[in-house]
Amino acid sequence: MNPMNYVILAAILFSIGAAAVLLRRNAIVAFMGVELMLNAANLALVAFSRIHGELDGQIMAFFVMVVAAAEVVVGLAIIIAVFRARQTISLDEPAELKG
Amino acid sequence: MSFTTPTIDWAAFAPIIIVLGAGAAGILVEAFVKTPATRRTVQLALSLAALVASLGVIIAQWAALDGAGTVVMSGMATVDRQALAWMAILLVFGLLSMLLFASRDGGGAFTELGATAPGSVEEKLARRAGLQLTEVYPLALFAVGGMMLFTCVTDLVFLFVALEVFSLPLYLLVALARRRRYLSHEAALKYFILGAFSSAIYLFGVALVYGATTVTDVNMIGTAIVNLADADPLLLAGAVMIIVGFMFKIGAVPFHSWVPDAYQGAPTAVTAFMGAATKAAATAALVRVMFVAFAPLEWELSWLVWAVAIASMVYGTVVALVQTDIKRMLAYSGVAHAGFILVAFAGLEGEALTALPFYLLAYGLATIGAFAVVSQVRERAEDGGVGAEAVRLGQWAGLGKRSPLLAGSMALFLLSFAGIPMTAGFIGKFEAFSAAIAGGAWPLVLIAVLASAVAAFFYVRLIVLMFFTDAPEGAEETIAIEDGALTRVVIYVTAAAVLVLGILPSGVLNLFADASVLLVSVGG
Amino acid sequence: MQSLIWLAIALPLASAAVLLCLGRRADAWGHWMGVAASGGAFLVGLGALIEMLGKPAEERALDTTLYTFIPGGDLHVDVGLLADPLSITFVLLITFVGTLIHVYSVAYMEHDKDRRRFFAYLNLFVAAMLLLVLADSYLLLFVGWEGVGVASYLLIGFWNYKPEYATAANKAFVVNRIGDIGLIIAMGIMFTTFGALDFATIGELAGNASTATLTAAGLALLLAACGKSAQFPLQSWLGDAMAGPTPVSALIHAATMVTAGVYLIVRSAPIFEGAPNAQVVVAIVGAITLTLGALIGMAKDDIKKALAASTMSQIGYMMLAAGLGPVGYAFAIFHLITHGFFKAGMFLGAGSVMHAMNDQVDMRRFGALKGAMVVTWVTFGLGWLAILGVPPFSGYWSKDKIIESAFVGEGWQPWVFGLTALIGAGLTAFYMSRLFFMTFHGKARWTDEVHPHESPALMTVPMIILAVGSAFLGLILATGDRFTTWLEPVTGHVEHHEPVLPVAVIVALTLILVALGAVGAWFKYGRAEVPQEAPSASLATITARNDFFQDSVNRAVFQRPGQHVTRTLVYADAAIVDGAVNKQARGWSSLGSASRKLQTGQVRSYAATMLVGLVIVIAVIVVGGL
Repeated sequence: MNPMNYVILAAILFSIGAAAVLLRRNAIVAFMGVELMLNAANLALVAFSRIHGELDGQIMAFFVMVVAAAEVVVGLAIIIAVFRARQTISLDEPAELKG
Repeated sequence: MSFTTPTIDWAAFAPIIIVLGAGAAGILVEAFVKTPATRRTVQLALSLAALVASLGVIIAQWAALDGAGTVVMSGMATVDRQALAWMAILLVFGLLSMLLFASRDGGGAFTELGATAPGSVEEKLARRAGLQLTEVYPLALFAVGGMMLFTCVTDLVFLFVALEVFSLPLYLLVALARRRRYLSHEAALKYFILGAFSSAIYLFGVALVYGATTVTDVNMIGTAIVNLADADPLLLAGAVMIIVGFMFKIGAVPFHSWVPDAYQGAPTAVTAFMGAATKAAATAALVRVMFVAFAPLEWELSWLVWAVAIASMVYGTVVALVQTDIKRMLAYSGVAHAGFILVAFAGLEGEALTALPFYLLAYGLATIGAFAVVSQVRERAEDGGVGAEAVRLGQWAGLGKRSPLLAGSMALFLLSFAGIPMTAGFIGKFEAFSAAIAGGAWPLVLIAVLASAVAAFFYVRLIVLMFFTDAPEGAEETIAIEDGALTRVVIYVTAAAVLVLGILPSGVLNLFADASVLLVSVGG
Repeated sequence: MQSLIWLAIALPLASAAVLLCLGRRADAWGHWMGVAASGGAFLVGLGALIEMLGKPAEERALDTTLYTFIPGGDLHVDVGLLADPLSITFVLLITFVGTLIHVYSVAYMEHDKDRRRFFAYLNLFVAAMLLLVLADSYLLLFVGWEGVGVASYLLIGFWNYKPEYATAANKAFVVNRIGDIGLIIAMGIMFTTFGALDFATIGELAGNASTATLTAAGLALLLAACGKSAQFPLQSWLGDAMAGPTPVSALIHAATMVTAGVYLIVRSAPIFEGAPNAQVVVAIVGAITLTLGALIGMAKDDIKKALAASTMSQIGYMMLAAGLGPVGYAFAIFHLITHGFFKAGMFLGAGSVMHAMNDQVDMRRFGALKGAMVVTWVTFGLGWLAILGVPPFSGYWSKDKIIESAFVGEGWQPWVFGLTALIGAGLTAFYMSRLFFMTFHGKARWTDEVHPHESPALMTVPMIILAVGSAFLGLILATGDRFTTWLEPVTGHVEHHEPVLPVAVIVALTLILVALGAVGAWFKYGRAEVPQEAPSASLATITARNDFFQDSVNRAVFQRPGQHVTRTLVYADAAIVDGAVNKQARGWSSLGSASRKLQTGQVRSYAATMLVGLVIVIAVIVVGGL
């Protein structure tokens, strides 16, 4: 199968992830959208690595996974803090900072 | 397959290792030192010592370098004078901010215990027990270390790692305000979601560029692009996404939306640090990407730089005019400054590389000073104690009479933002604009000068308010002026620096001129 | 010493910094350090003078570059000091009179709890003023120019707990800003024309520029000079500036800062050389102001305000002389020096009187003070004789020369300027004698609780020294044209021109008018009863008492429209301080109000903004790049 298809799939996943951030009110789901975007990038890296016939892209994907894991830790911590204070994780609710 | 173990020039990384190592040590201190008061002292001493030591190493490395630099890990990072200059700037910002973090005006900037909900019983208990959050010191060290890494890394994926290393601690720091915690949480959540969103965009851009050029090394991308036959849409889209990731950190329109909210909601000390250091680090990275990796795409990308620069200057200035919250006003002024920074990118490389470090140094010093002043003007709480910061513009009326030194320093910072002669901001703007003019971007400079003129209005308005408007009857009692020694030191040091850089800029300018050559070497 | 002239600026500046930083800890000795700093600066100036006198005239100027402000590139800016006969003359005047006034202030401000701060500001002023006169470029001069403006603002409003004093300080500040705009415009014109701002380059290249350019620059410089020197039409602030402590009025608003405008015009001689029309305007402004000042001086009952009006009028004389071109430059400066002595002396005398009279300033409640305060009376009297221009006192030598020069020329000018200066001398004699007689002679009209007494030695000694100067300085400097020869390297050598009237006639006419004025004042205010309340007066007197309604005019012409602007843009009063920004309308602000709506507070919309921006950029670049 043409590895370029994986790149196209990655682009589609990236768009789905971005759409999730824009459309979903739930902070966790929006955050999952961001993770989906990161993983789409991972997929693209691996696919390109395959196309170019070298390992660099695959190694990069590991780096990205580690960073993404760290990001999850920090992100969930913030979301939980917000939930404790407000009893909701809607992204639309806290909107006192504006203008 | 066989791998050769890479040789790593650890010595070149020494300044960064010191800072990050001290951050790790700080986590241990957090675990083993029990008494809050002692812990604070130990953490502060550790942080300051690490930053000073790192600065010392940088000075030594600067002296040892003769024009070139060190390429570390097969081109993953390049420690040249340009990188050292940016690292030194970041360390100075870090040192000043650390003093603000440690200040205990109005009970300190940070909450006692980040995990407690605002207004909960746990929060009250923690307050009564005299708890004091000290994780902020290692967090800040990680942020500084990550930013330093960000300035010298020359590999796009490694750059992503560095980006996250300094962003993640910042997200947390934003959430830890002692007062107005709801706002602080909201700011952190927004900053985090948008920050993660932008870094995902950046990473996808890296993947696309990797696909188009087969490399991620900044130096080699430049060579690879030249060898490409014609413009590759994959490459162009990837380049744009990468640059957008940096512009987000700089806070340029339309990627600026996090700036006002995060600046306003964050603890003021963190705002000071974030405003000064994030912009500097992102600018440093953008310098390498723009002038090395994507230099062959200059023609295609100049459109982006121009559009974003104009949008930032105009939007930031216009919206700052109508702000009533002082932190928010400064945030929008920061957006406008992002535009001024991008103006320099439209210029020639040599001039821009001298102008940008100076501009960011001037802007950062004034930013830290201005937010430090903000942290000194407090509302009087109902029980007579010192409350949250008085951030409504009206509350600053007549400050000049009550505290001339404070108001005078603030006026100096504002004048520097506005770019009035005899302040560092003037020299910065002058250098940035002349770099752009040398690059033939005079229409951009014209708009920049007009925007500066309009912007001067809201800076001067605050000065007029402080010095020439009397506080309304009875308003004086509702405002308390703090007199924290650490914060005052920061204010006076930055004020003096802004003045000295405005009057005697030639020494520092010459240093940055020495640093205005990027080491471009194609690693193996 | 000439190359060390920067020390003269550094000493008072350092002293000011120390006094401000140490705060209350310096209360005990701070004032003496202020005196020492000013005195030290004088010694530096004196050293430079001696060194310069040892050199041939054409080698006396020394331009020292302190450091490079902006290196390389299209704009290379150096910070340098120029010590030439003109600037050294000013340095000596500023530091000598300044030091005496410092000494005087030690006693005058003794009971003020903020005396240390006062000395810090005074030192700051001296440093800024020295920078102004020593600068070798307009840019650096501008720094000093702003510096004296700030120091003057701080000192006028020194007792700012009284709202009207703070208002006076603001007024001075705002009017001076108008003048500053003139200086900025002038610098802009000069920089675009010559590509430099230093006096040397401009002096060299001025001949090549077109008359129109030079006229524009000259008029802009004149606007600057009018603001700083309280010349028509920007004269309104000087009277109110008397709110400051009297030593401030003596130093800043009589002897030094207000004369900076004259310095600027003389220093800009190369510009005015090529712009005869601008020169005539300078002379006209001088003539108007000298008359206006004299008329206001005749009607004022407040001793300080009368002296302020007189200062305005005397600077009008200097402006008139400066507007005459090279013929008048040296005499403008000469009169500036003698005026610095006798006017500062009289202000100190006025301060001494106020000291004795519980800070009253109404001359209608003075009278017969000569018995109670002999030293003040004698010293003030010498100043009075000097300003009248009675030979052989100082004023005679300088003012008569200006009147003579005013009669030089062709066409209508010598007659208009000459006669104005001549009549002005008579008016001066009248109002100054009125002031002198009302204060020291006639019957005592004191309020009940005052018991006049002589001031302490710390105050009288500076007065005596200044009085000696008022008496003899003119004679010393005029003998053998010493002073004009000394200034010649700067002002240029001028062939002698004959006035349109014989010199003897001019001198005789002047003296007759002066005598008439003084005698008239004696009959009206010396011998006759002076009513304790100002009598109802003619329209003319009321006009003069109200400073020719300049405040009303300013209010109607500038302030109202200006306030309208500021009210919409800046918060004008406390009632709308809070939340006022929301009320700002029009223009940029409405644009801002509209734009800020984009910042909805919803994080999802922020992300959408980013993404839309990204998509647009990619679309344009990728499509455009293909």
